[in-house]
Amino acid sequence: MALADPGAAPAASPAALVAEDIHKSFGDLEVLKGVSLTAHEGDVIAMLGSSGSGKSTFLRCINLLETPNAGRITVGGEELGLVPGKRGEGLVAQDPEQIRRIRSRLAMVFQSFNLWSHMTVLQNVIEAPLHVLKRPRAEAVAYGEEILQRVGLYERKDYYPAHLSGGQQQRVAIARALAMDPSVMLFDEPTSALDPELVGEVLRVMRSLAEEGRTMIVVTHEMGFAREVSTETIFLHQGRIEEAGPPREVFNNPRSERFRQFLEGNLK
Amino acid sequence: MEGYGELIRYMPSLLEGAVVTVTVAFVSLAIALVLGLIAATMKLSKSRIGRGAATTYTTVIRGVPDLVLMLLIFFGGQIQINNIGAYFEWDYIDVDAFTAGTLTIGFIFGAYMGETFRGAIMAVPVGLLEAGHAYGMTKGQVFLRILVPQMMRHALPGLGNNWLVLMKTTALVSIIGLHDVVLRAGQAGGSTREPFIFYLFVAVAFLAFTTVSIWFLNWLNRRYSAGVRRA
Repeated sequence: MALADPGAAPAASPAALVAEDIHKSFGDLEVLKGVSLTAHEGDVIAMLGSSGSGKSTFLRCINLLETPNAGRITVGGEELGLVPGKRGEGLVAQDPEQIRRIRSRLAMVFQSFNLWSHMTVLQNVIEAPLHVLKRPRAEAVAYGEEILQRVGLYERKDYYPAHLSGGQQQRVAIARALAMDPSVMLFDEPTSALDPELVGEVLRVMRSLAEEGRTMIVVTHEMGFAREVSTETIFLHQGRIEEAGPPREVFNNPRSERFRQFLEGNLK
Repeated sequence: MEGYGELIRYMPSLLEGAVVTVTVAFVSLAIALVLGLIAATMKLSKSRIGRGAATTYTTVIRGVPDLVLMLLIFFGGQIQINNIGAYFEWDYIDVDAFTAGTLTIGFIFGAYMGETFRGAIMAVPVGLLEAGHAYGMTKGQVFLRILVPQMMRHALPGLGNNWLVLMKTTALVSIIGLHDVVLRAGQAGGSTREPFIFYLFVAVAFLAFTTVSIWFLNWLNRRYSAGVRRA
């Protein structure tokens, strides 16, 4: 079990991911007012919150797609070196080499898939293993095909993303993430851009990943997924953690009034 | 029909001129593509100085006639280089017509290419580049493996147009004395008193270059449209 308190669980091996006291402002708007999270191996952390609560921004701060204004990020015991950016944009990576290495271990799945549309499905999946991890082509292809098999899209490997449905595209994006053998997978509202009837196929794949013990941080609106699959559910409100704990506890006995309202609004 | 006999007699010289024209076009294109990419990157950069410099560049090119620029660089450039050379005690450096011509045309079309590239880069969804960064790619890898192939599709129509106009602009190098197909045809037309036939040949030659270019551009367009749904 992982708690928001960074000093909580001294395990034998270092936590897969620790984010401490992340702050982020856009101009005068403070979106994150100090958010912390620890993910141990095998944790599935669901992050809930209404839009504007800062949950996507938090996720994007972890791999520095967004530059936090303050905070510490540690991946597998290795702390990410952060220095103030030259243009006052917040903290940026001190060592480009290090941030690239860390990013390659934190595979991200985006709301709008962001598949490279000029590449086929298989090319999308093997691109980063080939050019970032420098795997040999034959190995990358074999592994990529195996993963596509797993997400049920092997037959579509030579298609271009534009010829797939949204659900299929998101499964390809998950395959692209899996091909990196990531230590933590970051999901940024993976089902929010999908038609309702396509959500199920994506959630099924994510559920199977959770069952095989993948470490995942999932920003989502899917209450059912958070409740049934996550090991910890975090509720963000106005840039702060309002509620955190095992889903059974937080869903059945929410301590925060706002989370209670949020649940009522969403479970109707 | 005597003129056609003359045309055939001058053909080797004209073909040599055609080779010069095509060489000037390709070298200028290479310069223009490099300058265009730099200008587009500067225009889209966060640096105020970069944006300012790129805007000045396009403003100058748009506002000054091509021919004037070429004469400026050919004559003015020689004088400037002589002055600089005298100061640093270099040996005499000759600005030949080929260098001046290709530099000028490359410089002019670099500005147009810059506009084309800028629009094309802006048409690429930011998320695709973000995905590259999120998977640990270097800036160079994101640029070459994602941005360039993605933007090429958007850039190709404009780029093709620029290329056709560039090709035709090479005719200007005859003014500064480069022996391209236009200058040679002018000389041959003058000495044989058959200017019409020789200039007709030049027109047909340019039409042939541009037609081949259009075929090639169409082929490129198909190639870079891979993965795009056709309506």
